[in-house]
Amino acid sequence: MKRVLLALCVLTGVAAADPKPAKPPINGGTVEVAPAGHPITHVAIDNPLGDVHVIGYDGKTLKIEPRKQAPDEEAMDRLRVSLVANPDGTVRITTAVDRDRESKPLARSAVRIDLVIHAPRNAKIDASVSAGKLVLENMDAGGELDTASGPISVHNVSGEVWTHSLSGSTQLVQVFGSVDVQSMSADVDLDTINGEHLVASAGKGKISGRRVHARDVELTTTDGRIVLEAEAALRGHLVVSSLHGDVDVRLHRHGAVVVKARGNRVELGTATTRTSKADGWVTAQVGQTDQREVAASVELRSRYGNVQFSIIE
Amino acid sequence: MRCEDCRRDLTAYLDGELADERGSALRGHLRGCAECRAISDAESTLRDGLRSLPPLDPPSSLWAGVQAQLAAAEAADAEKPRWRRTLARWLPVVPRYAFGGLAAAAVALVIWSRLHRAPDEPAPVAALTPTPVIVEAKVVPPPVDLDATADLAAEPAHVGDEYRQAADELLAQAPEIQKEWSDAQRQAFATKVAALRTQAERAEVGKPSRRAWEGLIRYLEGALIRSDVALAGGAP
Repeated sequence: MKRVLLALCVLTGVAAADPKPAKPPINGGTVEVAPAGHPITHVAIDNPLGDVHVIGYDGKTLKIEPRKQAPDEEAMDRLRVSLVANPDGTVRITTAVDRDRESKPLARSAVRIDLVIHAPRNAKIDASVSAGKLVLENMDAGGELDTASGPISVHNVSGEVWTHSLSGSTQLVQVFGSVDVQSMSADVDLDTINGEHLVASAGKGKISGRRVHARDVELTTTDGRIVLEAEAALRGHLVVSSLHGDVDVRLHRHGAVVVKARGNRVELGTATTRTSKADGWVTAQVGQTDQREVAASVELRSRYGNVQFSIIE
Repeated sequence: MRCEDCRRDLTAYLDGELADERGSALRGHLRGCAECRAISDAESTLRDGLRSLPPLDPPSSLWAGVQAQLAAAEAADAEKPRWRRTLARWLPVVPRYAFGGLAAAAVALVIWSRLHRAPDEPAPVAALTPTPVIVEAKVVPPPVDLDATADLAAEPAHVGDEYRQAADELLAQAPEIQKEWSDAQRQAFATKVAALRTQAERAEVGKPSRRAWEGLIRYLEGALIRSDVALAGGAP
């Protein structure tokens, strides 16, 4: 491997003097990482011990503010934040608790490391947490975010964004790029999404979307309700499906839209024309198409829930 | 399976001595019960730690010393008179027999008094009041104070289990939905699910495993909720 490891810093930090002994020690400070030759293009963060908050800014350096909490000095010494900066512009930050057989057992709930990171806007961010909050804001190169049970929040981010959550809620606001959200059992909230593709599944959780504009939209839940207010893209495809949950879609249209819906009870609103029923599907078209224009297609489905569709003129 | 059953069988399970059916039930319980899983992990970690200890050979002088002490004790025993040796043999069990005899006598007395009570004799008031039932206190294990390192190391596997459970829950809905499918569609679905599942089970614990389970779940959602399988094979 030709890649040369430039720096391996272990930020142990000195425990700050605590004026009130009753309070557990808290450790802070800022570490700044300057790009080594190549600008910082990719930051990978793995913090299973607390929150990660990444904020994009116009600078070139990476500023890391680790905030450690532990019940005593001995435990504080076991908390580690490791940083590896590679010359190709990749920076990896990980947190850990040192294994120490001689110390008394240290419960995970008793310690915490929160990371606040100011990163160059153009860096792609891959971050993972366990139960802590994961926040990404003001970035221009998207990223991939992973959580077990902590909430994910993305705000004002351009570029492709992938999120993976087991039971933590996901909130995406002002994302300009393709989005892929996968949540097993928690709610997904989308506001102002503007990209080529939007794929979101929430399992047992519900999905709510506002001001969504994407050429291909695919929203799926097993149990949760789906409420979407979207803009129909020309020649776009919008597929909203749930097994048990209700589906409620309101669409702003710029051209013709063909709607196909199937559900326990289907309501396609008053603005639709040419409604027909076949094999349980209700099909309707809103607006007229000429030879050059291809209608946007909308497919709404709920096996056991109700389906509702309306046009916002 | 209840938590107390799980904890009783845990040692045998970790030793690989539990029968298949019981082992499967215990595994199922561990998937759903975080507390038992934490105890199981702590026990596994302890065992791993013990296994990793270097083997220790006792010095030969140790066994020689034990033998010498045994010989000295036997020689001293031989010196005692016969009645003292007999008494020493019976003394440890005397209290047990005495207690048993007393208990038997008490039971016999109660039965005799009930049988010989006059028919018009009112029952003692005490007999009408409910006898206080002494319930054995439920043994609540102390909270497992796992070390953070063990907890962190075990987390990826737990998360993988959660994904597996989510996939299984989705798969459990398949039979009802598949009623509308053709045999070929059902076959194609089963083959694909088996392949993705094998991939997920074999994936490295951590992110690769999570991604593989997510892949299976996405496929299940597509097939079962959006009927992608049915559409791909022509509407049923």
